[in-house]
Amino acid sequence: MTDSELNCPACSAPIAADDTFCEACGAQLHGSASPDPGSLPQSPSIGAQPPAASEDVTAPIPRTTVTSGVCAQCGGRILEDGFCGTCGTKARSPRDHWSEQPEPWIGGVCDKGIVHTANEDAMALAATPDGSLSILVVCDGVTSAPHSDRAALAASRAACSYLTSVSLPAPTKAAAKSVAAEVSYWTEALQAATTEANGAAVGVAHTLGDPAEPPSCTYVAAVVADSLITVAWCGDSRAYWLPDSGAARQLTVDHSLGTELIASGKSPAEAEADPAFHTISRWLGADSVDHSPEIASQPIDGPGWLLVCSDGLWNYASALDEMRTLVSDLGAATGDDPLPLAAALVDWANAAGGHDNITAALARCDPSLRLEPEGKSRG
Amino acid sequence: MADFKAEVFQNEFLAEGATDVHAVVSVTCTNAGTAGQSGQGEAAEIVIVDTSGSMDMPASKIVAARRAAKVALGEIVDGTWFAVISGHSVAQMVYPSHAGMAKMTDVTRREATHMIDALRAGGATAIGAWIGAATELFSQVQSAQRHAILLTDGKIEGEPASALPQALAAAQGQFQCDCRGIGSDWVVDELRTIADALLGTVDIIAKPDDLEADFEAMIRTSMSRGVADARLRVWAPQGSEVLFVRQVAPTVEDLTAKAVQVAPLVREFPTGAWSDESRDYHVAVRVPVAALGNERLAARVEVVVNDEVVAKSLVKATWSADANLTTRIDPAVAHYTGQAQLADAIQKGLAAKAAGDDRTATVLLGEAAKIAHESGNEDTTRLLSKVVDVVDAETGTVRLKSNIERTDEMALDTRSTKTTRIRRQP
Repeated sequence: MTDSELNCPACSAPIAADDTFCEACGAQLHGSASPDPGSLPQSPSIGAQPPAASEDVTAPIPRTTVTSGVCAQCGGRILEDGFCGTCGTKARSPRDHWSEQPEPWIGGVCDKGIVHTANEDAMALAATPDGSLSILVVCDGVTSAPHSDRAALAASRAACSYLTSVSLPAPTKAAAKSVAAEVSYWTEALQAATTEANGAAVGVAHTLGDPAEPPSCTYVAAVVADSLITVAWCGDSRAYWLPDSGAARQLTVDHSLGTELIASGKSPAEAEADPAFHTISRWLGADSVDHSPEIASQPIDGPGWLLVCSDGLWNYASALDEMRTLVSDLGAATGDDPLPLAAALVDWANAAGGHDNITAALARCDPSLRLEPEGKSRG
Repeated sequence: MADFKAEVFQNEFLAEGATDVHAVVSVTCTNAGTAGQSGQGEAAEIVIVDTSGSMDMPASKIVAARRAAKVALGEIVDGTWFAVISGHSVAQMVYPSHAGMAKMTDVTRREATHMIDALRAGGATAIGAWIGAATELFSQVQSAQRHAILLTDGKIEGEPASALPQALAAAQGQFQCDCRGIGSDWVVDELRTIADALLGTVDIIAKPDDLEADFEAMIRTSMSRGVADARLRVWAPQGSEVLFVRQVAPTVEDLTAKAVQVAPLVREFPTGAWSDESRDYHVAVRVPVAALGNERLAARVEVVVNDEVVAKSLVKATWSADANLTTRIDPAVAHYTGQAQLADAIQKGLAAKAAGDDRTATVLLGEAAKIAHESGNEDTTRLLSKVVDVVDAETGTVRLKSNIERTDEMALDTRSTKTTRIRRQP
C-alpha cells in the first residue's frame, strides 16, 4: 500500500501514513493505516478498558498448574501437584476456561469442552465505557497444527487491541454521516485488524522456529459502533444477530467445504454428515493462502443479542432457527447480562457432548439505552 | 543423606469406558552410604547357620558353612551389632555365648571366628525356631537396621508345621532375611516363603565351594544399604481399587498383600533397606470411569523414608477417543507384565512336573521359554535349557529332559523371579 492510497476514515481526504490528525477534518488517526504486522498495537485512544490485548499478543496464557482451591468435579481439595486429593481430577487451568466481561453489556466464556485435552479456542473482548463501541473477537485454533492455541490467542488479542486503538469516526454533522460511510470506515478498520491478527499468528510461528505445520486459526471479529454491527471473518467461526423481535440473521458464511457442499446442492444435513464439512478454506497463520476477511454489516434497529462463537457451540445448533431459539430460551432465564448467558451456552454445549472447544461471546445491543456522549450527534 | 528419584513409565490414555491404569515406577537411590554409619542409627547382623545332621552328608557342607560364616564376619563393618546362631533342633547361640548381641570389633570378630570353627553337625531342621531366636535377639537392638542371613540344607522336620508361619508373623517388619539353600534336599517354597515375608532374597548354592563368595556378597550388599527403611506410599482416588503393587526389577515380588492403610485413600508398602540401586514397581489401579477428555490422577506414588516423602511420581489417566493413543501399551509395562508371567509360568510348570503332569509342565515351560527368548532374559533361558530341550523358542515348543539334575531344577525355580531390565529409550 502506498501513501496515495490512504484516506481519512472520517472524511476520505487523502492522508499521509504518519499523520496523527486528518488535515482536512481534524479527525484523530490511528497512526498507521497499514500496520507493520510485527509491531505491537497502539495503545487505546478511545478510552477503552485496556483489555488483555495490551500485553504481548504472542505470549500464551500459561497453562499454569493450579495448586490450590476446590475441585470443580467433587469439591475435594486441590493439592500442590495440581490434582484433586480426593478424586484425582486435574485442576482446570486458566487457559482451559476463562470468562471476560469488560463492560456490563459485553461478556464471553471460552472453554476447553469435554473431549479435547487442550483449549485451542481464544477470545478477546473490549468496549468503551460509554457504550459507543464494542469489540468481540473469537479465534479457533486448528487442532492438527501444534500450538494453534497460541496462534488463536495472539490473533484474537491483536485484532481486539488494534480495534480499540482505532478512533471512532470523527464527529460530523448528522446529515453528512451516512451508514455507507460508517460501513466503509469499519470495513477498512476490520481489514487492518485482520492483518494485525494474521501477523500475530505468523509471529507465533516465528517464535516456534517456523515449523513445517505452522499454528493457525479461524477468525471472526465483530464491532458494534452505535447502531451498526460490522463483522470480518476467515473460516468457520460465526457471528449472529439475534434481535428480540424481527428476523435473526447469521452474519457470517463459513469458509469451509461444508459451505461449498451446500452450494453444490447438498442439503445442510447431508453436508454436515460429510467428513469434509469442517475443513476450512480460509484461516490465519503462516501457511494461510488467503487471509483477507469477508466483511458483512448489520444495522441495529431494536434490542437484541450479537453472538460471536466457535463451532464448538454452533455444531449443536447449526441452523439459524435453532440458535435463535436456544439463545432466546437460555436468555429468558439469565436476563440481559451477557456473562450468565454465555456460560449457559457453554454448559449447554458441554451437556450436548462438548466434543470441541467452546467459545460464546455476546454483546447486548439496545440502541434505546445508549448514552449519548456530549459532543457527538448521532443520526 | 540419600537421594531418591521416581520416574513413571505409562501410557496414560484410556479408551472410552476403560478403567484400568498400569504404570511402571522406577525408583533410584544414590548416596545411600553405609548401614549404621549414615547417622540414621546403628546396624545389626545375624548369621544363622544350619548345623543339622545332614550338614555332615557330605561333610564338605559344614566345612563350607564354617568358612562362609567367617568370611561374612569379615565383611561386617566394625561397630555393627552382630550374633551367630547355630540352627538344629533348637536355635543355639554360637556368639556371643549369652542370648544377646555383641558389637563388632577386632576382638569380638576373632572370638566369634574361633567359636564358628568349633561348629559340629547334629540334630534336626527347625527353621521356625531359628527365626524366632533371631527375632528375639533383634528386639534388643530395636533402633538398629536389622538384617539376617539364613543358610540351610534341608527341609523343616524338627518342629510342627505351624511353627514357621507363627515365627514369620512375629518376625515380619522386624528384620530382613536373605535365605540360601545348599545342596538339593531343601525346599524352594519354604525358603521363598521366608524371603518373601522378610523382604529378602532366596538362592541356591549348588556347590559348597560357592558359599563363601555368596556370603561375602550378601553381607557386603547389606552393609551398603545406608537407607534403613523405605516405603512406597500409594494414593489412589476415591472409588478406585489398587489391583496390585508389584516389584518387577531386579526380581518379581508381589507387595499387594503387604499394604498398610495409612489414610482413607493411602496405602504404604514396605520395601526394606536400600543401597545405591534402582528398583522398578508395576502399579495397577482400577479407577472410576470418566468422560472423554478428562485428565485425572490414577495414583500418586511416593517414596517415604523416616515419614518424609523423598521422591514422588504421578500416574495419570486421560480418556481419549483417539485409538492411536489408547491402544499403545507402554514398553516398560509390557516388558514387566511379560517378566511376571515368565516367573509364574516357570513356578507353575515345575509344580506340574513335580505332580507328574508332564503335559501341563511342557505347555507352561514352553510359554516360559518363549517369553524368556522374546524379552532377552538370557539367564532364565540358560536355566530353562537345563530342564527342557527348546525345540523352537519362537513358538515356545519344548520337550522335558529325561535326566535332570535336581539342583538345576531348583535353580530354575529359585531364580524364576529374576527379571531383565527393559532397555530405556534415550
